[in-house]
Amino acid sequence: MRLTVNGNPIDIDADPDMPLLWALRDLAGITGPKFGCGIAACGACTVLVDGTPVRSCALPVGMVEGDVVTIEGLAGADGLSVVQQAWLDEQVPQCGYCQAGQIVSAHALLEEIPDPTDDDIDNAMAGNLCRCGTYPRIRAAIKRAAAEKARTGA
Amino acid sequence: MTVLARLLTAAVIAVLAASPVHAQDAPAVDDDAIAVDREKGLAEWDGIVAVLSHPRCANCHVEDAYPRWSGPHYGATRLHAFNITRGEDGSGFGNAALRCASCHFSSNSSKLHGPPGAPLWHLAPAEMAWWQKSSAEICAQIKDPERNGARTLEDIAAHVRDDPLVGWGWNPGPGREPAPGSAEDTFRAIERWAAAGAPCPAG
Amino acid sequence: MASLGKIARRTFLIGAAAVAGGVAVGYYVYRRPYPNPLEDELAEGETTFNPYVMIGADNAITVIAPRAEMGQGVATTLAALVAEELDVDLDAVTVEHGPASYAYYNSEMLAEGGPFPFFEEGVVAELMRGGMGAFGKFLGLQGTGGSTSVRDGFDKMRTAGAAARQMLLAAAAARLDVEIGTLATADATITHEATGRTLSYGEVAADAARLDPPSDVRLKQPADWRLLGKAQQRTDMRAKVTGAPIFGVDVSLPDMLYGTVRMSPRFWAEPVKADFSEAEKMPGIVKIVPIDTSYGHGFGVIAENTWAAFRAAEAIEVEWGEADYPQDSAAMSAFLREALAAEAGDALRDDGDVDTAFADAPQDRVVEAEYEVPFLAHACMEPMNATARLKDGLLEVWSPNQMPTLTRQLCAAMAGVDTENTRVHTTFMGGGFGRRGEMDYSMFAALLAKETGGRPVKVIWTREEDIRHDTYRPAAMGRFRARLGADGLPEAVDMKIASPSTIASTLRRTFPSLSPLGPDKTIAEGAFDQPYTIPDYRVAAVKADTGVPVGFWRSVGNSFNGYFHESFLDELAAAGGLDPVETRLKLMTDHPAAVKVVEKAAELSKWSETLPAGRAKGFAFTLSFGSWVAEVVEVAETDAGIRIEKVWIVADVGTALDPGIIEAQLTSGAIFGLSSAIGQEITFADGMAEQSNFHDYDAMRIHQCPAFEVAILQNYHKMGGVGEIGTPPAVPALANAVFALTGKRVRSLPLSREVDFA
Repeated sequence: MRLTVNGNPIDIDADPDMPLLWALRDLAGITGPKFGCGIAACGACTVLVDGTPVRSCALPVGMVEGDVVTIEGLAGADGLSVVQQAWLDEQVPQCGYCQAGQIVSAHALLEEIPDPTDDDIDNAMAGNLCRCGTYPRIRAAIKRAAAEKARTGA
Repeated sequence: MTVLARLLTAAVIAVLAASPVHAQDAPAVDDDAIAVDREKGLAEWDGIVAVLSHPRCANCHVEDAYPRWSGPHYGATRLHAFNITRGEDGSGFGNAALRCASCHFSSNSSKLHGPPGAPLWHLAPAEMAWWQKSSAEICAQIKDPERNGARTLEDIAAHVRDDPLVGWGWNPGPGREPAPGSAEDTFRAIERWAAAGAPCPAG
Repeated sequence: MASLGKIARRTFLIGAAAVAGGVAVGYYVYRRPYPNPLEDELAEGETTFNPYVMIGADNAITVIAPRAEMGQGVATTLAALVAEELDVDLDAVTVEHGPASYAYYNSEMLAEGGPFPFFEEGVVAELMRGGMGAFGKFLGLQGTGGSTSVRDGFDKMRTAGAAARQMLLAAAAARLDVEIGTLATADATITHEATGRTLSYGEVAADAARLDPPSDVRLKQPADWRLLGKAQQRTDMRAKVTGAPIFGVDVSLPDMLYGTVRMSPRFWAEPVKADFSEAEKMPGIVKIVPIDTSYGHGFGVIAENTWAAFRAAEAIEVEWGEADYPQDSAAMSAFLREALAAEAGDALRDDGDVDTAFADAPQDRVVEAEYEVPFLAHACMEPMNATARLKDGLLEVWSPNQMPTLTRQLCAAMAGVDTENTRVHTTFMGGGFGRRGEMDYSMFAALLAKETGGRPVKVIWTREEDIRHDTYRPAAMGRFRARLGADGLPEAVDMKIASPSTIASTLRRTFPSLSPLGPDKTIAEGAFDQPYTIPDYRVAAVKADTGVPVGFWRSVGNSFNGYFHESFLDELAAAGGLDPVETRLKLMTDHPAAVKVVEKAAELSKWSETLPAGRAKGFAFTLSFGSWVAEVVEVAETDAGIRIEKVWIVADVGTALDPGIIEAQLTSGAIFGLSSAIGQEITFADGMAEQSNFHDYDAMRIHQCPAFEVAILQNYHKMGGVGEIGTPPAVPALANAVFALTGKRVRSLPLSREVDFA
């Protein structure tokens, strides 16, 4: 079957019931999305499908309709997206394992709500678990990214 | 699977729910027949409300903003984790970047404790609340076009039989107790209850 | 063997890994430096000066930070220690974990293993510390834990950087034929200031490495530090915001197979009967093999992809043997209660005469309480996993682990090869918290690698396996009593804590032939070693093995004793009619560092100001891992339950090398503790853990996360740890806030058993 991942067509030979996560990681070698729970309960595997964040560990690859974007596909040619740069500036990650999912969710949030309030952040990000407790810096980074996007019109 | 499609659907539902459309007048019924059928009707209603108040249905028919979780390994009925809510837009489809559809796809996860799924997974409008409501309250709501999506009883019966999200309640995925009976059984029970004058129990 | 047995008996249980590691390692030449493992790792044109520094002819500088980077930022700070002395910027160095090697022993990890509070500096305590440190070197124990990495590395890493710089200068002086004193270094360049001639480090590296290391290494004075003491950009940040393949689960090797495990959910039990027929029929399955190890019994599944392995593992039909320990949580609780009643325990603190103090105590001046905490899982975000390849007699293991030398040793034994023919590649870790000091997941990978004909196999556990086969934070129960004086202050305190011995449990699964001896201080740490002066003060530890595997969980015994001690102290303050902060200040006057921390926390949090109705604050203080920490938690009543609004943390860490990382670790530790307090517990039924994934074992989410305000102090004369110290006071500060808000004294965890959290 054919997927479009980060703008590239990818042909994979997968059981349609295989979760998108494992198709990406084991078959396509795209390892940015992480395995955390397998039941859509932690958000480490979050990717965008047609712009909507989905938990790829629970989505059968055969049900994917639309372009898939992973953490690897967020950045433009200059290396880091505005959100990733904000994450770097705020020194958000600790172990870093959940951060691909966090960043993908934050991207989706800022697409829908360019200037999110604390409540908007709570509503959007509570599906992404972080065991290191980086939440205060995640909040700061989302606000920084929002400000930067507003400043540059990105 | 696009968000837009889901939101449009949600908007339609919201509009329908809010419209001051009146249900068609109930057909004229013989008074004696009602007296005879009331017992029968109430018995039918007991079967219906056993479905509606079952966690597979009631957990997402809530008055507040929070869907509920219950069942083995979930403890006593509790709020859906992860701060999941109806949505700031009131749509029932969740919030920006954390829609129901981020996890609930068009079919059940085959994994124990994995996310259940059905097309257009969402929370019922708040006025259609069943969770922790009495049989009488649910009955009154079901019959009230202001609070049932402007549906006739026939519409409701058909909705129960045909809507895949409602149908999920009898096919809820691994580890979850299904609602009693079947969609077809419940459709017929609603028909019989309606025929018996759709009596409600005393509140 | 005999001499080590004697050491264990004479001294203390200092960590199973260490005792056992020594036996198996058999390294007796602890005065001699270990060989530099980088000699075997050099690339073309690269030179190594010591086990921590490599410089290429192209001026590429690599620093080895041989501690597990599991989120705590240790790679950055260890590299900064080298870079500071080497006179290079942090972004000019590449940081690597390096190979498993005895050269990377951690002596601090054992130094605080003795039965002395951190502030005890008498002759015996200091001798013990020195002896334990030497013991760590003697064992060649490369490990990350006990919040020791920076304390251990502070001199080692700076010396490595300074020695390399002095050698480079000497080589440059010879090349330029000038006096060393006329040369200056900056940005990896040596300049002869009089003539302006320059040489890069890379140009003289090969010459320099041939010189003998200097016998007198001169370290910079803190006033001259450019990097240390200032927040640095972490060296691992870019990889972590771009989704780079740095974790154990990301290992990718040519021709790799995938796998998982299905282990007995009843610990130590063997399968009674098993049927693979359904599992073996599933597409993509290569092989199902039995796993029989000191960690337990079960099956390994080898497949063409991870998902196929998961599905087949689930499809194995198996009946497991019975548990040979109390079957459920109620029975385990009763077992702890009986142990408390039956045994006197080991008194790790016994000041004054406690028995006499209570013998004539008037009943209305005595406060008594029983506290209890449950087992807890680590629930690292990255499930347990490792990758192994056994080919041509060489075993290679790619493992996100905290104990490389022990991992090497046990994996070698598993695969039947010598440790010399075993290499452990330590990856970044998606969380560790103590769980990755275990060897099970690496051993399982090594075992499966025997079955693949030389192909590498990446073995990832499901989350369910991870939660149900943890080495849990032990459950614990404490009985406490105190006699209050006329001034309301406690004049006698008697504490007894029963808990499974973490060290005995660790020995059982790592080196089962060794029997644990002596008291286990982890049972009472956080209670017996606190800086309070009370005339009659006894804290005793009772070892009570419930049969459930227990291990090191962020802050270990401090994680529950902080709660026990500080919530009980809060009770005493309330009973004595005193303010909780005032009570502590009066009891800790002998310890000025503690007093300053408590005063600062009270000041920052405006402790003395009255809050509006529906809001309240709780206070707690703990000394753990050499750092003095006070936390204040403010809570508010809301419709949805109690909301944790704000947390103030004040920590005296002695010397703060990177305030940015320390701040992150303090909040991280507090959130880890708060997560456990608001809802975590592992319960047992039929010998099996009942929880299995994040739906029933969750942690704090962003919407529950409070605001934080952190102050870092540097008053104490010894450096303290950082990675774990935020956890112990968080739990009691919250419990005490709940009491202040609701009047309800919650004496068991999680608090959610008795109150709702928003």
